[in-house]
Amino acid sequence: MRRTPLHRVVVPVVALVLSHAVAGAQSNSRDNMTGVWALTNARIETVTKGTIDRGTIVIRNGVIEAVGATITPPADAAVVDLSGKTIYPAFIDLTSSMGLPQPAAGRAGGRGAAPAPFLLPGQEPEVTTEERVVGLEPDRIIAEELRIAPADARSARDQGIGAVLVAPSRGLFRGLSALVPMRDDTAARWIVKTPVALHVGYQTVPGDYPSNLLGVIAYQRQAFYDAQRHAALMERYKANPRGMPRTAHNAELEALVPVVKGDVPAFVAANAENEILRALALGKEFGIKLTIVGAVEGFRAISALKAARPPIVTVDFPQPSQTTGWQYQYATRRDPSDSATRIAAATKAIEGNAAALNTAGVKFALASGGLAANQFMENVRKAITAGLPRQVAVEALTIRAAEAAGVDAQLGSIEAGKIANLLVMQGEALTPGSRLEGMYVDGLQYDVVPAPAAGRGGRGGRAGNPPQMREE
Amino acid sequence: MTIPNFTRHLALAGRHAIALAAASVTLQAQAAPAAGQAGAAEPLALPAPAAGTLVAITNANIMTASHGNIMGGTILIRNGKIAEIGANVTVPAGAQVIDGRGKWVTPGIIDAHSHSANEGINEGSQSVTAEVRMEDVLRQDGISLYRQLAGGTTTVNILHGSANTIGGQNAIIKLRFGLPVDSLKFAGAPPGIKFALGENVRRTSNAQSTRYPRSRQGVEDLLRESFIGAQEYQREWDAYATTKAAWDKASARTRGPAPIAPRKDLEKDALVEVMQGKRLVYWHSYRADEILMALRISKEFGFKPNFTHILEGYKLADELAAAGATASTFADMWGYKLEAWDAIPHNAALMAERGVNVTINSDSDERARRLYQEAAKAMRFGGASEETALRMITLNAAIQMGIEKQTGSIDVGKDADIAIFNGHPFAPASRVDMTLIDGRVFFDRNTAPTLEWLMQLMRIRPRITSEDGGLR
Repeated sequence: MRRTPLHRVVVPVVALVLSHAVAGAQSNSRDNMTGVWALTNARIETVTKGTIDRGTIVIRNGVIEAVGATITPPADAAVVDLSGKTIYPAFIDLTSSMGLPQPAAGRAGGRGAAPAPFLLPGQEPEVTTEERVVGLEPDRIIAEELRIAPADARSARDQGIGAVLVAPSRGLFRGLSALVPMRDDTAARWIVKTPVALHVGYQTVPGDYPSNLLGVIAYQRQAFYDAQRHAALMERYKANPRGMPRTAHNAELEALVPVVKGDVPAFVAANAENEILRALALGKEFGIKLTIVGAVEGFRAISALKAARPPIVTVDFPQPSQTTGWQYQYATRRDPSDSATRIAAATKAIEGNAAALNTAGVKFALASGGLAANQFMENVRKAITAGLPRQVAVEALTIRAAEAAGVDAQLGSIEAGKIANLLVMQGEALTPGSRLEGMYVDGLQYDVVPAPAAGRGGRGGRAGNPPQMREE
Repeated sequence: MTIPNFTRHLALAGRHAIALAAASVTLQAQAAPAAGQAGAAEPLALPAPAAGTLVAITNANIMTASHGNIMGGTILIRNGKIAEIGANVTVPAGAQVIDGRGKWVTPGIIDAHSHSANEGINEGSQSVTAEVRMEDVLRQDGISLYRQLAGGTTTVNILHGSANTIGGQNAIIKLRFGLPVDSLKFAGAPPGIKFALGENVRRTSNAQSTRYPRSRQGVEDLLRESFIGAQEYQREWDAYATTKAAWDKASARTRGPAPIAPRKDLEKDALVEVMQGKRLVYWHSYRADEILMALRISKEFGFKPNFTHILEGYKLADELAAAGATASTFADMWGYKLEAWDAIPHNAALMAERGVNVTINSDSDERARRLYQEAAKAMRFGGASEETALRMITLNAAIQMGIEKQTGSIDVGKDADIAIFNGHPFAPASRVDMTLIDGRVFFDRNTAPTLEWLMQLMRIRPRITSEDGGLR
């Protein structure tokens, strides 16, 4: 019998945390991708094909070989009896910057000198010794620079996250993202898909053009016009190079070409109502496949989002004072007690964002928005408390996320042939009493550290978490 | 302290008499539903009014701004347009009647220079940014817009800032506060662009700036250079149009691949539109010498100049009139920088006297709430007639912005953009009771937040310290 850590006896939490701390950074995977597992007697939430009350999943070579109520475990499989447990597809977080170098303030980049972007064909590049401008790098390929530490992957797994989409979190053209499984052994080597999308935002370039939201939008429009033309020039040259002037090589424009042609989607970080509308207008102007990422004020832009590609809705809830319309709310309070009433009403709307979108019939993925994994799950539970059906939340963290990233053939549900990214729960996922008991990522079995009780902060918590009380 | 005492003390307070008027009226209106109270369903919703299809303002003193005053007259509004005006208008059954007895009605006030509904003002990283558009960064929820409505302002010209020689493209909006951002735009308003001269663009205040130009000569040079560049760009497109037409007519067997259009350049597009007369130029200007330079540039490249600030316009009134230039100035702003030293409060009236189309603008969220007081200063200082002063904040501004067919006066067929005052608009104690845009009531003092709310909220109690019991 192989070691089956999911079957360990319940030990005091303190001891568990201790043992985990002692294990340190060393890998806690029990096997490699060639392992064969049969997970038996479990309740299986396939997400796409309903629930199997008591069934078996067979994993081979990191892939789900079979799933069903009447599967016989193959002779070479390690059988894990998961009676009383529920298996879900592992969650996917599409808003991560895990494993990226911390950007230096201002201009930096470390990828050496680059020509000025968006040159006209035939135009001479300016000789420059300046480093690349951070955030203005449409051709930045995230897959080439990922360095994910096992500890980061582990803290994601500890919350049931089996894969993350990595992209820089700032900039106006941020680069091409990669979807990475949360393995310990250099996750970047096992990238599921790259590029997933060109990531776009509304940050300025400090000390340079564009220095203002005005310029950011103008720059993006000009860049897409340039890319359209670049695509036409390249196509003509490719069709018949004879007698044609060669199109100047321009890595930045070439990175935008698949976007304007609709082959690679643009993921645009847009949270406030007006940001969402601006982003969608950009997508419409250029006919690009555009996915809104963030949409924390989606409840104010429901009709626009309904007409768009399914958004990736994050749960990094804004403060009421950061929301559209708050100035009026604040200025028209009647008395001090009215302030509290209005803050409470605004908070309810903010946490009810996903619920409102769901009620309106908008399909969406849920994502962290950069929150630490434990805070991410806590905020998802808040969204559920605010009216989001739990089943919809599970779908939004699995199959909808996989669809948004274009990997629904590989991830997001429990189906034969998909990658074996699974989570094992005691109880129902995203309910207060439930407990994550283990993870499979690429068919590798991983222990997890149980999540601390809500409100007690915990590993990887955000700076805003209340400090843990210490009893002397 | 009880409220009757409070108002009595205010009444004694001399210069605070205006505040008293506001307080006592609004206290009587407490029973009316408060616009500021948040609905449970949409706690961050703004107070958008219902659309009025048939509205009558009766028995009011109507200042049309185009054809004199009608005392005790009625305005009938159908579907947002002024349908009838006169002393003997029959009010149809079912009309929403606004009792205008004792009230003065003016056209909705137009602010020809504003920065109050936008998230970005200057793309200051370059001196030529014709490609940026204020319409990209509009916001609908600033409390300032509501305050401006409370001052009878209905239409504003959102301009780029004055950091650049050639700034960004403007956005003319109506203050439809409470509606989504794309509802703000003034349909059919001609596009415009901000140009700037003098201290701001040559970066006088920033010793570190290395941006060209650093002098007024440089500003003129950069302007000419930019337009010549745009002319070349236009020739490139004209040549392409000829080639393309020939290609279209040529035999499909013998012709080569289709010609590819020149690069679309958003910056040059805007300047070409200026030279074609499709885009209005608003020159930020102070000194007479640079205004003459701007007149020469405008003539050289064939467009009609509109000036803003133009504090030394009175020195050039004949030249401005001869050039068909319009002038939008401050009532009495003076000496706030070196180039504002020669300003005089008679400027507006003197230019108007010589036949220049003159407007008085705010360039300020604060002054935009009381442009009617600013216009009154043109009567006080320059001896302008009542109608001339009124036109400076209504019809003349509409003419400058090219929207005089839709708004700017109370005439049949125009948009029902109307301000209703409780007294003569140029009397110092008068204030706006109601503001309509397209026949919809966007501001109503009866339902607006009151002074009493504010006092409660700030826990302010009137301090009575002087011997006569007045408020200090």
